[in-house]
Amino acid sequence: MNKTINQKAWLFVIPVFVLVAFNAAIPLMTVVNYSFQETFGNNVFAWEGTRWFKQILLSERFHAALGRQIAFTFIILLIQIPLGIGIALTMPKKGWGVPVCLILMSMPLLIPWNVVGAMWNIFALPDIGFLGYTLNAIGFDYNFTQQPGDAWFTTILMDVWHWTSLVVLLSYAGLNSIQPAYYQAAEIDGASRWATFRYIELPKMKKVLTLAILLRFMDSFMIYTEPFVLTGGGPGNTTAFLSIDLVKMALGQFDLGPAAAMSLIYFFIVLLVCWVFYNLMMKNEAQS
Amino acid sequence: MFTKLYAATWGEVGKAKDKGFFDFDFFSWMAWTWQTAAFFIFIAICITVMLLWEKKVPGGSPRRGILGLDTTRGDRLFVSLLGSAFIHLAWLGLVGSLLWIATIICIAYFIVVFKYV
Repeated sequence: MNKTINQKAWLFVIPVFVLVAFNAAIPLMTVVNYSFQETFGNNVFAWEGTRWFKQILLSERFHAALGRQIAFTFIILLIQIPLGIGIALTMPKKGWGVPVCLILMSMPLLIPWNVVGAMWNIFALPDIGFLGYTLNAIGFDYNFTQQPGDAWFTTILMDVWHWTSLVVLLSYAGLNSIQPAYYQAAEIDGASRWATFRYIELPKMKKVLTLAILLRFMDSFMIYTEPFVLTGGGPGNTTAFLSIDLVKMALGQFDLGPAAAMSLIYFFIVLLVCWVFYNLMMKNEAQS
Repeated sequence: MFTKLYAATWGEVGKAKDKGFFDFDFFSWMAWTWQTAAFFIFIAICITVMLLWEKKVPGGSPRRGILGLDTTRGDRLFVSLLGSAFIHLAWLGLVGSLLWIATIICIAYFIVVFKYV
């Protein structure tokens, strides 16, 4: 069969090209340009070579921010993924409970990031907030504005509250797509609840879980608004994750060169992780 | 057009600049230098070569390489470029000088990726 060649479709792609150029390609090119130069504003730039990259790679501050970022991402993944699967397993499969659960679960996802931050900030204030006041009343010395451990606890709790539902919804969709025949076979074989989970539900959820881990990884690795509103990176720098530190450097100190170098390094890390996850998903795809 | 492409020097900081015909704000805002322009031209050439290669040998020559991944030519280019970025960064962080040695390592890395990955 001969296909007619029609190149008109390319015309329809032009708006996308223009959009991507203006929101991604041109800003990214500018960041690359900035990362090799020094400026004091007024559009005057001086060539600095690879100095900023070297400075960032060797800086204690960057290592600390990267360390905090990785720790935060791994902690929230360790909590959210098992918790999300657990909640999805206990959610009803039919009846009036399904829409109720689904709506309750999607509520936190619908709240804007800065509102989440503001809510948790007030909620956790030790003198007037419900959480903070209660914790202090029952004997804990809790103050997230002054104690680093408490600040971490609050930030993680906030993220778990905000995003576990995403894992729940994805896992729930994965669980619902399993054919009843698998469960019947497991019942006939006398499989325990754990065996059913381990050998039927978990493998069947592999695809959506990879997606959930990727989404949660990326979102938490780029987290900015919530901890910015909640703790502002403090006390000190203890909750200044990569993007908070980056904005401090770029806008707070107006060190555009080092900030550009840092954002490029940040970008490469994100790209690498995305590539790894993309390949994992493609492998899952090929297996099934 | 490219006369204003060179980076300013420290002596020029704070001095008013004459505006050339092509030196409109959009362009100067992007702070181009010939080095970074050369880098992006290199990327553009890479993509053009991939396009021509695809025209000549269509299909992207998919295969399963030494990493156990199904890759096409485009994947290999991506792996090469991202890997080169990390090689250069690692060299800067660990050695610090003679960056051209890292570039030579990257060329070797490119060849290895395109042959075996």
